[in-house]
Amino acid sequence: MKMNKLNIAFAALAISALGSSCVSRGNDPGWEYAPDMYYSKGYEPYNQADSFQLNPHGMSMRNPVAGTVAHGKLDFVYNLPNTGEGYERSATEVTAPANVDGIDTRGKYLYEIYCSPCHGIDGKNDGAVFQKVSTLKPAWKSYQDEYIQNLEEGKIYHTLTYGKNNMGSHASVLTPMDRWRVIKYVKQLSGVSTNSVALVESGVQETSNEDKSN
Amino acid sequence: MKINRFKLWAVAVSFMLSAPTFAQDGPNAENGKKLYEANNCGSCHALDKKLVGPALRGVHERRSEEWLISWIRNNKKFRESGDADAIKLYNDYGGAAMNIFENLTPADVLDIVEYIKTAPAPKAAAGPAATNTGGNQVDSDPTVKYILLILVAVFSIVLVVLARVRNTMKRIAAEKSPEDYPELFDNKKWYQRYLPKAMANWNPTVLALTIVTLIALPSSYFGYKYSITEVGVQKGYAPTQPIAFSHKLHAGELNIDCKYCHSTVESSKSASIPALNTCMNCHKGVQLTEKYNGEISPEIKKIYAALDYNPEELPGKQFGDNPNPIRWVRIHNLPDHAYFNHSQHVVVGKLQCQSCHGPIEKMEKVQQWNTLQMGWCIDCHRNTGIDVANNNYYAALHDKANKDLKANENHSMYFGPEGKVKITPAMNGGLECAKCHY
Repeated sequence: MKMNKLNIAFAALAISALGSSCVSRGNDPGWEYAPDMYYSKGYEPYNQADSFQLNPHGMSMRNPVAGTVAHGKLDFVYNLPNTGEGYERSATEVTAPANVDGIDTRGKYLYEIYCSPCHGIDGKNDGAVFQKVSTLKPAWKSYQDEYIQNLEEGKIYHTLTYGKNNMGSHASVLTPMDRWRVIKYVKQLSGVSTNSVALVESGVQETSNEDKSN
Repeated sequence: MKINRFKLWAVAVSFMLSAPTFAQDGPNAENGKKLYEANNCGSCHALDKKLVGPALRGVHERRSEEWLISWIRNNKKFRESGDADAIKLYNDYGGAAMNIFENLTPADVLDIVEYIKTAPAPKAAAGPAATNTGGNQVDSDPTVKYILLILVAVFSIVLVVLARVRNTMKRIAAEKSPEDYPELFDNKKWYQRYLPKAMANWNPTVLALTIVTLIALPSSYFGYKYSITEVGVQKGYAPTQPIAFSHKLHAGELNIDCKYCHSTVESSKSASIPALNTCMNCHKGVQLTEKYNGEISPEIKKIYAALDYNPEELPGKQFGDNPNPIRWVRIHNLPDHAYFNHSQHVVVGKLQCQSCHGPIEKMEKVQQWNTLQMGWCIDCHRNTGIDVANNNYYAALHDKANKDLKANENHSMYFGPEGKVKITPAMNGGLECAKCHY
């Protein structure tokens, strides 16, 4: 009879050990039949690679070699420095390409993804993030302020590329053309027509209202 | 009642009399506070800490009133007028120019300075942060598992050896006094001793069949089921990440679009894991110091450490030279031999992230929601209708399906609910082996 009990205990132990080890829960990915078929030897995006002298952190995503430009990506080159001086120079030296299209479609779409969490759908600085953390808000009230209406597009491009004050760089999420689409859409939200320079001045006169008294 | 009403009037009148004299009486800190908030000074300045601009406490001691008025109202003009202090300040902060506040009158500026002068000092942090910093959670180490398995094996060998030793001892004892051990001489087979008395005398074949039916069949069924639904299937896998990022807060409460961070999902095979640069779009400013006794949140500190970014240093400075990338733990992993493309499913198929990843905007800690098994892929390819009507990518296919539907009506393969065209990925080659395995 003693043997009987021992055997049962042993069987129970074996079953529970088997059951608890293969199921993936929490931190444990569980067991796999053939791990070498699941994990690529070649570099996959965002996989960790073995680290070696030239890649001490074992990253599979690397920066391009300094001083090189990928084929067809010439518009990514931006030579103004990330300084106050660069910001001032961007006003005149950086201009939108002539063929910015899809302002109302792609521009709006991108604006609502990348800008509206803070600046709000209508550019009134009332996005969920600004509502929760109001100290992040910029000095101007909304896109309809004179400040934004008069702000040169080149300066906005500089800001999107490098970031300014609390805003960070959006260069890694928006291609140069997408940045221009967003800028044109922002100008549209601020009530300035993006098509002709003459209209910029009339737009400014229309909306000089209570913002100034604040 | 009458007295009360009289008292009320008296208070009101005295207040009205005193109010204007109060306002004329030098700078007004309360108004300054309002202006400070209305003009969002706090987006670049804090009282006791450098942000984009310098810490403001004690600014009235460092600068004269005239200097402050000129600087705050129009710092650009002031710098151009050649004030050495102004130019030095501008250069010290990496040429990040302050906004122009000509809407503020000189009196307004003095009100703000008065507010800065009188603002209460922060409470001293009560010793080390009381909140638990999370600690380093011990990652599940596979070697622990193997050590346990080895221990189990060693102990079971010991168990068997001991049992055999005991048996041998028993036999030696039985040779001396057989009457004490009747079970060793009753001619029973070994297995008969382990069975209930009623079953012990059964025909061995019947016994074997019964045992196989009762034990072997169910256990092999469960074993089979287990091996195809659990081994290699990581549904429910929710590893501890190096930073306790909450999708519930960011994607749920703040309602930030998934694509804000996973920006390449529309243009690439992989939905990007955001660069820490993306975190810093908000977390340069959001440090949750109010939650952690004036300290920066330990989780946000990890971002700064990874970027080698010092929030105390000059704001013109970018991230440091000695970054140490965050090692996120991969959750969803398709086998190397299966190809999956995010952009194809999100742009062309117009799927929502949640259809595969589950209610991610409600997850404090992300877990794998679906099995990602091939059967799961195939089910969806067979049953989900593609929105071909509103998708230029499928214009030709849509025409073909429409013609077929008109000709064959309900015998057409494209016949869907309410007699409309239904096209599934399976009809468009979505079950071909080489679509995903090559």
